[in-house]
Amino acid sequence: MANTNAGGSDLPPELQKLKKYYKHILIIIAIIIVGASSAFQVNTEEVGVVTRFGEHVRNVNPGLHFKLPFMENVHKVPVERQKKLEFGFRTQEADVQTQYTRTSVTKDESLMLTGDLNLTNVEWVIQYRIDRPYNYLFKVRNPQSTLRDISESTTRQIVGDRTVNEVLTVGRSEIASKLQQLIQEISREYMLGVQIAQVVLQNVTPPEPVKDAFNAVNQAQQQKETLINEAKSAYNKVIPKARGQAEETIQKAEGYATRRVNNAQGEVARFNELYREYIKAPRVTKRRLYLETLQEVIPELGNKIITDETGDSTIPLLNMKLQNTK
Amino acid sequence: MSTKKLIYIIAIIIVGIIVLAQSMYIVSEYEQVVVTQFGRPIGEPVTEPGIHFKTPFVQKAHIFEKRYLEWDGDPSQVPTTEKKFIFVDTYARWQITDPLQFYKRLYNERGAQSRLDDLLDGETRDQIASHELKEIIRNTNREATTSGEISEIIGDTLATIEIGREEIQNNIQETANETASTLGIEILDFRFKRINYVENVRKQVYERMRSERYRIADKFRSEGEGEASRINGQKERELNKIQSQAFKKAEKIKGQADGRVTEIYASAYNKSSRSQDLYDFTKSMETFRKTFDTSTTVILSTDSELYKYFKSID
Repeated sequence: MANTNAGGSDLPPELQKLKKYYKHILIIIAIIIVGASSAFQVNTEEVGVVTRFGEHVRNVNPGLHFKLPFMENVHKVPVERQKKLEFGFRTQEADVQTQYTRTSVTKDESLMLTGDLNLTNVEWVIQYRIDRPYNYLFKVRNPQSTLRDISESTTRQIVGDRTVNEVLTVGRSEIASKLQQLIQEISREYMLGVQIAQVVLQNVTPPEPVKDAFNAVNQAQQQKETLINEAKSAYNKVIPKARGQAEETIQKAEGYATRRVNNAQGEVARFNELYREYIKAPRVTKRRLYLETLQEVIPELGNKIITDETGDSTIPLLNMKLQNTK
Repeated sequence: MSTKKLIYIIAIIIVGIIVLAQSMYIVSEYEQVVVTQFGRPIGEPVTEPGIHFKTPFVQKAHIFEKRYLEWDGDPSQVPTTEKKFIFVDTYARWQITDPLQFYKRLYNERGAQSRLDDLLDGETRDQIASHELKEIIRNTNREATTSGEISEIIGDTLATIEIGREEIQNNIQETANETASTLGIEILDFRFKRINYVENVRKQVYERMRSERYRIADKFRSEGEGEASRINGQKERELNKIQSQAFKKAEKIKGQADGRVTEIYASAYNKSSRSQDLYDFTKSMETFRKTFDTSTTVILSTDSELYKYFKSID
């Protein structure tokens, strides 16, 4: 220090002043360093796990906190954040219309054997939260990949106890809830410190090479319905109409009967009236009726030839030019 | 202060730091430590986290993990008892339970991974080769919920098993642990991650699945056709019934009317020979009216009743 003081007189007054206060400046710098390494912020979704010389001493909630500089470390764990793991696909870009990708890696994840030794594709998602930050940090190395392993193994275990039809149709929600239960159980066993919020089965489909056969079943099912509906429609087109027509036939027959009986009764009444009078003068009445009839009929006739029984009857007829016979 | 003094002070500080660093070690929450003195282990392994002390330079701290560690099996092709070739991918979680033993037998994690490969891959192979595929895939003798038409058609049932996946996994884990325990490690959990058919078996399975589905499709189509035919038959039957019943009823009504009419006529016309005569006459008159028209040609003789006065009035 004597050295530095010796040649200092020729320095400009500003630096002279600085030199005078350099101890203060050093102290301030030291305070800043210590302060920076002791103050820390824990964000809204996080919890801060503080260790002193490696040993866990306390957890701190969101806000501004201090720790002993150099001796204490803080590990921030996002306990409130819902995390997500995807199997069988990856979200490429999450947006209003999310883009997904499927590669050979994800295909291996999704292809699995069912209990009846068939194959199926199952894509699923697990959502979880870290509920024990201590366990999450200190009990398992790579907790996330551990959770992936658990999830893949349990999904196959559950699908392995079901038929391909169950997996593809009725079993979906049941599988998801069983899966959640089982993953949670094993995570607890491993002390992963996570809470499984939800397991959702996404696309559950038959493998690509058998898709057309599965579609053929759906088509055949539709076809069956169509055939039955068509037959029913043909039935409905014919039968009610036939019923109406049957009614018509019967009504017509009734009409015929009524007409016939009424006509007969009319005719008979007329006849009886005539007969009553006819009895009184049969001969003349008969003649009158005959002549009256012919009088009416003959003017309507086309050709009238009057012959004499004594004359030559055939020859004149041959030369005659008849009307209305072409 | 002289320069010399300053150098002394600095040197003492540096030496002090080195000695302090050599006599202290930090054990974190997930670590455990074995202290050795010239290679000879001293005392019990340290598992308590925090700051610990040892004799500087003479003693050495070997730090090991305390957490669950990963092991990932090599996906290998293995035949089952019925000679079905499958790919089996396994995983395990293990822990260093006895760090001293671990340090002696395996030295580090790499050594442990390699030993676990031998133990678990080998045991997996043995167990799979001595079981049928269904025992490896299925876990319980759960009954399939057979609902819907499709299940009915293919007889959707699950075969019964004797052992099951979980027990096979446990067997592998237990057998491997017998050896692992002598190495200072413990396998905490062992599971099949993925099981799949090898490529050419997969093709056969796809073929079987396809034929099964086409069988279902055929059944549906034939059911549809059958049902349609049944409805069509019913339609024909009902149609014939409706039409013939109507015909029957109509004919009966008509017949009854005809009978009635005959009776009415007979009662009037059949009263006496006179009435019969009158009927004949009136009917033939009526016939004249009805049958003669402009296309009729008649040859009338003057001898007839009508024209007899044509020739003479006598």
